[in-house]
Amino acid sequence: MRLVTLLKSGVVLDLYYFKNNRASFFGMLVYPYLMLGLILGAGFLFGSAEAFRRNVGLNVDPVLYFIASTVVAMASVSVMWEVGGNVMFLRWLGALPYVLLAPHRMSVVLVVSYIPRYVLFQLIQILEFLPLIMVLHGPIEALYRTAVIIVATMIGMLPLLGFSAIFAAVMLHLEEESNVLNWLNPLILLFSGAFYPVYLLPAWARAVSTMLPTTYTLELARIASLVSMPSMGAYVALFSILLGLTVLYNSLSLVLVGKSEEAVLRRGGIS
Amino acid sequence: MRREVVVAEGLVKRYTSYERKGIFRKEKKIVEALKGVSFTVLEGQVFGLLGPNGAGKTTTVKILSTLLIPDAGRASVYGYDVVREARNVRELIGVSLSVEKGFFWKLTGRENLTYFGMLYGLGGSELRNRVDTLLELVGLKELEAEDKLYEEYSLGMKARLSLARALLTDPPVLILDEPTLGLDPPSARMIRELLVELAHKHSKTVFVTTHNMFEAEMICDKVVIIDKGKVVAAGTVSELKRKVSDKVTVNFTFISPRPLRPNALSAGYPLSIDNEERGLPKLRVVVPASEVEDATARILRFLYDNGCSVRKIEVKEPTLEDVFILVTGRGGRK
Repeated sequence: MRLVTLLKSGVVLDLYYFKNNRASFFGMLVYPYLMLGLILGAGFLFGSAEAFRRNVGLNVDPVLYFIASTVVAMASVSVMWEVGGNVMFLRWLGALPYVLLAPHRMSVVLVVSYIPRYVLFQLIQILEFLPLIMVLHGPIEALYRTAVIIVATMIGMLPLLGFSAIFAAVMLHLEEESNVLNWLNPLILLFSGAFYPVYLLPAWARAVSTMLPTTYTLELARIASLVSMPSMGAYVALFSILLGLTVLYNSLSLVLVGKSEEAVLRRGGIS
Repeated sequence: MRREVVVAEGLVKRYTSYERKGIFRKEKKIVEALKGVSFTVLEGQVFGLLGPNGAGKTTTVKILSTLLIPDAGRASVYGYDVVREARNVRELIGVSLSVEKGFFWKLTGRENLTYFGMLYGLGGSELRNRVDTLLELVGLKELEAEDKLYEEYSLGMKARLSLARALLTDPPVLILDEPTLGLDPPSARMIRELLVELAHKHSKTVFVTTHNMFEAEMICDKVVIIDKGKVVAAGTVSELKRKVSDKVTVNFTFISPRPLRPNALSAGYPLSIDNEERGLPKLRVVVPASEVEDATARILRFLYDNGCSVRKIEVKEPTLEDVFILVTGRGGRK
């Protein structure tokens, strides 16, 4: 019951925030197209549409993949900032002690209260692309492709939540005040293949990419962008890996956030 | 017999800090914030932890609030250990660590309380009613500030909201770190009165830290003074005052038909009469605290018998500030 209230608290916080900051709400609506435009602009600056088509694979719809990978990149940045960076934000506000006093584990508060925001924002942002995909593929196929992207980002979020909570633990432990996320996020996206396909990366970077949930979410996005309808087997394999990573990262986060919290409580780092 | 609610036994806390000595070298420094602090707070009591800056007040508050683990000693709230049973303790306490921060700037006071209420497990009409009641109780409704953004709040409003959050779950114990620090007189007075009311009428146990002696004297049933991490004095305000002196000075201002001489009154107390040429004469007598009423009655009769008309009586006893200066040895300019 308390978990449900915690979920609701996340919704309430966002609703209040956007009610009092309408500009921020409109910014959220415009953000997907701004991101798309930025990546497109940067792409044309350093490469060509033909090179992009070659890199993502000839049997992949480049525009659809471009949209899907943008959505995954936005989701990844959002989870990392909102879960990992939230510790920093709460510390700046002086609200961290009062969040710790809630009758839940800290990792649970950080993760659970964020889930409604993620689901809502991802849905809004993905659906914003629906008209564009409809123009490209017609209504029925657009609905199917969009549904796959939605499922991919929702499932892809699960391991990323644990991954971000581990990052939150590190931030808590180090009493880190600087925006480490500003350089960590682009690195994660780079190693996951958001900017270059993973097979173009050096071997050590490919090894890192196998441990990142975003790699598999991007791969899901790629499969959803295949010109021909992909097999169910490909989906099942990727979903299985993501679920495995979910168990791994979320179990680790429960232990690490707890340990980090204890170390910080011992050191007097909560303020 | 009132129940022991908050118990601290030999609390020790050391902080480690690193002082940079050049580019690559850092020197480890250990600061002992608490050196064996012990005290007991009874149910329904306003308990004041007093001390100069850096005495260890906030460290004690954080330990009692389960936000800091002591290096030695133990503390409990209603018998629950603040380290091993932190979750039980958290359900029994309401905490305010700072009056000037700790809320979301882009949310109103009501919205902030609603969010934190949900975080603490409240919901539905229970939460709505509780938030309404608290906004009224702390005077934010009267100030028409409940629906203003937190970023527009004055410090007094922020302090009121911080107290309201501490009361959200209606906890039996309140732990407040400097709840009136920097506030304007009306806000400070409102908060003091509310704390006394909560303790004495609603049986809440109120633990406050302050270095405002005037405030402690007004609201605290029991006081502990700490300095450099050690308890240097403990007791009720009157008990502590007796440590400075058990003598009280009584001043009588009166109108007299003729000059009075001190030896005219064989009261057995040291006294002096100031027959001022300008202004009214004053009689000053120093008596043991236990004999104030008797001595006052005798002197009034003496003045009346000599045809004097008394205009004002002032009783001056040592202040808590005198106690504080005596036990901490810090008396301002020397």
